[in-house]
Amino acid sequence: MGPVVRVEHLTKDYGAVLALDALTLDVGEGTTGLVGANGAGKSTLLKILLGLIPATGGRAEVLGHDVATEGAAVRAAVGYLPEHDCLPPDVSASDFVVHMAMMSGLPRVAARERAAEVLRHVGLAEERYRPMGGYSTGMKQKAKLAQALVHDPRLVLLDEPTNGLDPAAREEMLGLVRRIGHDFGIAVVVTSHLLGELERVSDNVVVLDGGRLLRASRTDEFLDATGALLVEVLGDDAHARMAAALTNAGVAVADRGSVLSVGATAEGLDVRDLVRDTASDLGLGLVRLQTDHRRIEDVFADEPEDAPVDRPAATSPAGGPPVAAPEPGPGGAAPTADASRRPGRHRRLEGAPGD
Amino acid sequence: MTDPSTPTPEGRSVIHDLGYRPYTGTRMPPATIARALVVTGFRNAFGLGRSGRSKILPFVLLALNLLPAVIVGGVAAFASLDELPIGYAEYASTTQVLLGIFVASQAPVLFSRDLRHGTIALYLARPLRSGAYALARWASLLAATLVFLVLPIVILYAVALLIELDVSDQTREAAKALGLAVLLALSLAGIAGLIASWSTRRGFAVVATIALLVIANGVVTVIQGISSESSGSTRVGEVAGLFSPYSLYRGLIGAWAGADTPTPPSSTGMELAYVAVFVGLSAACLVALVARYRREATS
Repeated sequence: MGPVVRVEHLTKDYGAVLALDALTLDVGEGTTGLVGANGAGKSTLLKILLGLIPATGGRAEVLGHDVATEGAAVRAAVGYLPEHDCLPPDVSASDFVVHMAMMSGLPRVAARERAAEVLRHVGLAEERYRPMGGYSTGMKQKAKLAQALVHDPRLVLLDEPTNGLDPAAREEMLGLVRRIGHDFGIAVVVTSHLLGELERVSDNVVVLDGGRLLRASRTDEFLDATGALLVEVLGDDAHARMAAALTNAGVAVADRGSVLSVGATAEGLDVRDLVRDTASDLGLGLVRLQTDHRRIEDVFADEPEDAPVDRPAATSPAGGPPVAAPEPGPGGAAPTADASRRPGRHRRLEGAPGD
Repeated sequence: MTDPSTPTPEGRSVIHDLGYRPYTGTRMPPATIARALVVTGFRNAFGLGRSGRSKILPFVLLALNLLPAVIVGGVAAFASLDELPIGYAEYASTTQVLLGIFVASQAPVLFSRDLRHGTIALYLARPLRSGAYALARWASLLAATLVFLVLPIVILYAVALLIELDVSDQTREAAKALGLAVLLALSLAGIAGLIASWSTRRGFAVVATIALLVIANGVVTVIQGISSESSGSTRVGEVAGLFSPYSLYRGLIGAWAGADTPTPPSSTGMELAYVAVFVGLSAACLVALVARYRREATS
């Protein structure tokens, strides 16, 4: 089976702006995150992939159909969740999703069945019978996702699906995106301006910058373990005392604001024991001890030259000890991954580089 | 009421148990999709499939529009008249204000709503092309307008048959009225649809459409009134009649259905000009509509 999306030397020149500059890219099955600043060409790329706007040069294929000549075939097999509002307020989600299914060519009876099923999948229960004007942003996003899935597309293009959601709704939406890619067997292209989200849900990450491909690779390649441990302790002047004690014991320590980054130079287990014993000796509460991973943000910090692979990987990503939250390998159990990554996200919010 | 932002645990477990089932059934060709869009649009124009409040205006207007027909029919039946008090084709001219309000208020339902709420992006991301979408929307409005125009004719025709007027006469007159109703509906749907597709604000589209219809008709009526008073200048009135859908309609029912209207087209050439303008106006609006949505798709 060929790639889901194949883009060759795709160029889109708006005259004043060069939105896409000879972009060449293959997107496979699974979930692909599309990253880029505003104006990097994400939306333009999605519109060209839907066959809505013509490219100035190059060609693009979606599911084996040329978007320039077989736009209708592409749109029949693709689901699209736009970034902006797109729901009529005086129609119920149930009626609307049925209608949208029929607009994709499903017969009425099948459309009703599929709509009910998809609305259940996205988690819209009784409220599906109410007009959508009264929905919260989270419910609206779910309804938008339902209409993108109702005709059982082979690929969904999700443009900023978590935009404007509160943390709980964001978690739920990310869980859904993950499930679409992994459990539903539908290829997903998802854009987001929050890199932390993409690193959690996508198998591959594509970085666009100024209409050009900055980087495309597997998410886990972005996120190689740095070989350091993150340590968080509670107590009076906890971090300074902890850092001093660990330095005395001959371990490299860097204070990173709310956490200490401890170099796990020798055997990883020894350092972990050392951290635990030191905290115990000093009478400090050990809040967190986890392997430090690279974040997608670091790729931007490193770009263009520094390759991430040459970092030392002292601890295997899959084999962490029980104290540390184990990081799953690619395709690992989703709930564990979510639970273990969450503290990392908080840390990132507080001390993201260049933020 | 549950807080929508928190996931419901029971919803989660249900999802997990069922799993996702792909759809393997048939997928209809674009023509069937377009037909489904026309039907939904037609229902939406009368508020069906929308909130309860949105049903009020179209149905009140429809009831008001039918009321005279029912009363006239009742009077004719009781008094055993030997002809209907009002001609089939004249009826629409009498209730043209209601017709104008209906078309002006329901065109935004079909056109502005999708643009205002961004739903157009979802339609354009589906197999139907932008031109087909525009045509389907227009067809819905045309059908709704025709219902508005044809129902009174049907009622009057039924009354005419009940009071045993001459069947062939009545059928001929009713058929003429139907043909004229189609011409009027074509142009009104075109104008109102075009205005609504340029405005994302419902109120603006309603006001602009009514204003255009009323002002154009008012100006034409004044000119026709003056020219019919002063003998020898009826030609001016005839030409003026070309500039508004209502006056076009009035002119043609004056010429064909024997209605008493000021300065109807007096020559065959002028009648043809009236029909040509009617059809041309509708076609121009339709072309502009399709162009409008083609641009929307590629912007």
